[in-house]
Amino acid sequence: MAVQVKKVLRPPPQITSWRSGLAIIAGLWVTTRHLIANLFGFIRGRQDFTVYYPEQRFLHAPALRGMPVLVQMENGRERCVACGLCEWACPTSCICIFPAETDSEVERYPEIFDIDMTRCMFCGLCEEACPEEAIVMSRQIEISTYSRGGSLWHKEDLLVPESRLRTRIDFLRSQYGR
Amino acid sequence: MEDRNDSPPDREPAPPLMEKVLAALGELVIEYHRERGDDRIHVARENIAAAAQILRDSPGLSFDMLIDVTAIDYCGQPDGFRFQAPIMDQNRPIARRVSHSRHRVAMPERGPLPRFAVVYHLLSTALIHRLRIKCRVPEEDPAIPTVTGIWPGANWLERETYDLYGIRFSGHPDLRRIFLYDEFVGHPLRKDYGKQEEQPIQEYVGPGGHLPRRPYIGRTGQD
Amino acid sequence: MSDPADISPAGHISGAPGRIEPSEPGELPTPPMRLQFGPSHPATHGTVRIMLELEGEKILNADVQVGYLHRGFEKECESGYYYQNIPYTDRLNYSSPILCNIGYCMAVEKLAGIAITERCRYVRVIAGELSRIADHLLCIGASCLELAAMTPFLYLLEARELVWDLLDALCGSRVTTNYIRIGGVAADLPDGFADFCRRKLDGAMKLLHDAEKLLTGNPIFRERMEGTGTLSAAELIAYGVTGPVLRAAGVPLDLRRVEPYLVYDRLDFDVPVGEHGDNFDRYLVRVEEIRQSRRMALQCLDQIQPGPVDVDDPRFRWPGKNRVFNRMEELIDQFMLVVEENGLMPAGEAYFAIEGGNGEFGFYLVSDGTGKPYKCRVRGPSLCNMHPLARMIIGRQLADIIPTFDMINMIGGECDR
Ligand code: SF4
Ligand code: SF4
Repeated sequence: MAVQVKKVLRPPPQITSWRSGLAIIAGLWVTTRHLIANLFGFIRGRQDFTVYYPEQRFLHAPALRGMPVLVQMENGRERCVACGLCEWACPTSCICIFPAETDSEVERYPEIFDIDMTRCMFCGLCEEACPEEAIVMSRQIEISTYSRGGSLWHKEDLLVPESRLRTRIDFLRSQYGR
Repeated sequence: MEDRNDSPPDREPAPPLMEKVLAALGELVIEYHRERGDDRIHVARENIAAAAQILRDSPGLSFDMLIDVTAIDYCGQPDGFRFQAPIMDQNRPIARRVSHSRHRVAMPERGPLPRFAVVYHLLSTALIHRLRIKCRVPEEDPAIPTVTGIWPGANWLERETYDLYGIRFSGHPDLRRIFLYDEFVGHPLRKDYGKQEEQPIQEYVGPGGHLPRRPYIGRTGQD
Repeated sequence: MSDPADISPAGHISGAPGRIEPSEPGELPTPPMRLQFGPSHPATHGTVRIMLELEGEKILNADVQVGYLHRGFEKECESGYYYQNIPYTDRLNYSSPILCNIGYCMAVEKLAGIAITERCRYVRVIAGELSRIADHLLCIGASCLELAAMTPFLYLLEARELVWDLLDALCGSRVTTNYIRIGGVAADLPDGFADFCRRKLDGAMKLLHDAEKLLTGNPIFRERMEGTGTLSAAELIAYGVTGPVLRAAGVPLDLRRVEPYLVYDRLDFDVPVGEHGDNFDRYLVRVEEIRQSRRMALQCLDQIQPGPVDVDDPRFRWPGKNRVFNRMEELIDQFMLVVEENGLMPAGEAYFAIEGGNGEFGFYLVSDGTGKPYKCRVRGPSLCNMHPLARMIIGRQLADIIPTFDMINMIGGECDR
């Protein structure tokens, strides 16, 4: 395949010539066209470019990475087995897990599972490290609070039923066979 | 400007680059390696300016661009790292209790060699080949001759190396800190500078004060 | 061709200010005016402080001071595992984060000796070229804004928004992409990406065309761009300047052409070069590079073949989740890889450079055989590109700083790290 070196062409200088007036008229024509398209474009079905947040929401792709949450199974328990991999993988070390033992068949569960949302950067490495699909990135991106303490999310706040995480889990499963 | 060849140059120059470098530099090269496709020579620090001059000016080499200057704090160990260095404490159970303890840097054992290595990366824009030069610099006297006279672009890169590693470039026209402020204590990329180390708080000297906070051009106004 | 050694290192102004000799007899000599430009000046998109010595509007001397965005990236990298540093590289050049991801991951792959799969190469080129388009669009758009042309800025940012939609679909995030992984990518191309990409890129190109109509012929824009910030190719090379700034001076140094990595040797593209080396050439080169990047991305979409995107190397790439869930060995691999206790990275060092948005973007990694880099050095193009700024503006008008600074496109993240 050919890679060529190409000189960029610069149009002749027009500063004093009559063509500079033409350039300004051409520019005005471009802006007018955009103005008309934006004013009356809805007749031809042109979509607004502005999103009237928060009445309207931006339509994100299925790959969107929001805040990390814990998957809650049907029986109301978390799927996490407190293996600690997400804690290792997190670059900002914002996850804190204290494991405990239980009699059910999973044997281990996290007694404490905190994520410090002031430090989390939504990178998704915890989700990638988890061997149980127990922590996934939700589509929730609005996590502002009134106090700093409110940014420390505990296990109860982080649990989200699996049915509400369908989009992300489906997306993850589509990537399994990479 | 001379004509440049418009087709991509050959990936493999006919005689390997290292032979040409060795022929041009002769005695100046202490040792040389080829590692992962990168050519590397070691030069004594007194000879760096002379070697740089030859590398830039010999027609078969013509390293006309200085890509990068940096340093490495080897703590006196050999370059090749034949050992497992206990650099970071990896004690995770403590990390749970003491915040950030994972990031505490422990000083690895010292070896007998000079502590720092200053690393230069060169590129020839006409012939498209690269070379890395390493010079060991001891801790007691961390100084090396500057190459700003050969590549003016070395000015800021050497200032950065001075700022972050504390290596003085003798003959540098304007050796002052570039990223950090003048009152900063220590050199942060050295291995004995902990990541969570704190700096003394500086007194604010407002406009019109006698001591400017940042390097300042001359004195203001009055003459 | 002047001898680069003759160039006096521009910058530090020391001692008492000089005197301006009076032009008329009988007038008093006046000291030049000292002006502090920045660090957060509304007409610069970057935090940099320039101390100026002015005589009227003419710049007598300048001292460029960078470092306001220094965050200790290199120190931070020394305490993170190799895979943990990938999200941090997003923050280096935040207008083309995928290129930074690619540079870092390819340096690690060179260090580890991993050969990535064919499909992964194409995916990386597509993502990287889209990112480069977004970078150049922002650079041109922000320059228009700072030259008081609001309309092209809005068109170009709308075009960038369209490119970001593509990156959003690809990586799940618009700016902090964190997309490339050591030995692969985070996710394969989504279904129907080729058509989506063509549609969005066509929309972006239409907007670019409109903005170009407003700019290229505009007498005001040309007066401010033409002939300002000129520096000869030999001087630029001596200062280590790379990227569009160097190409605008006529040197066809593009690492995609001279040291093809990934699949660039299989693509058909032009390397635009200018001849005068002024700001207007830099603008034209950037516009042309956007077109060429689109061409490359579309060619890759045509050539890409189905196949695995990740290497099947249990030493470095985390195994696919379907195997982690079902097989013991892969589960153990996953644990070993995340914890990185056993030090899989061979000791040694490697330098790898890619063509970033502003020039040669290199990573120099030194490994001591543990899971964390012993040293991770970033060769950001912006630092070297900013260095000759003082030489470009000394002796010119105060207003020439703005177009020169804009066309150098200093990104604080990669300049100050
Ligand atoms: S998204 Fe990233 S930063 Fe946030 S908890 Fe997960 S690994 Fe940590
Ligand atoms: S990696 Fe998954 S299973 Fe392990 S502790 Fe984290 S969330 Fe729980």
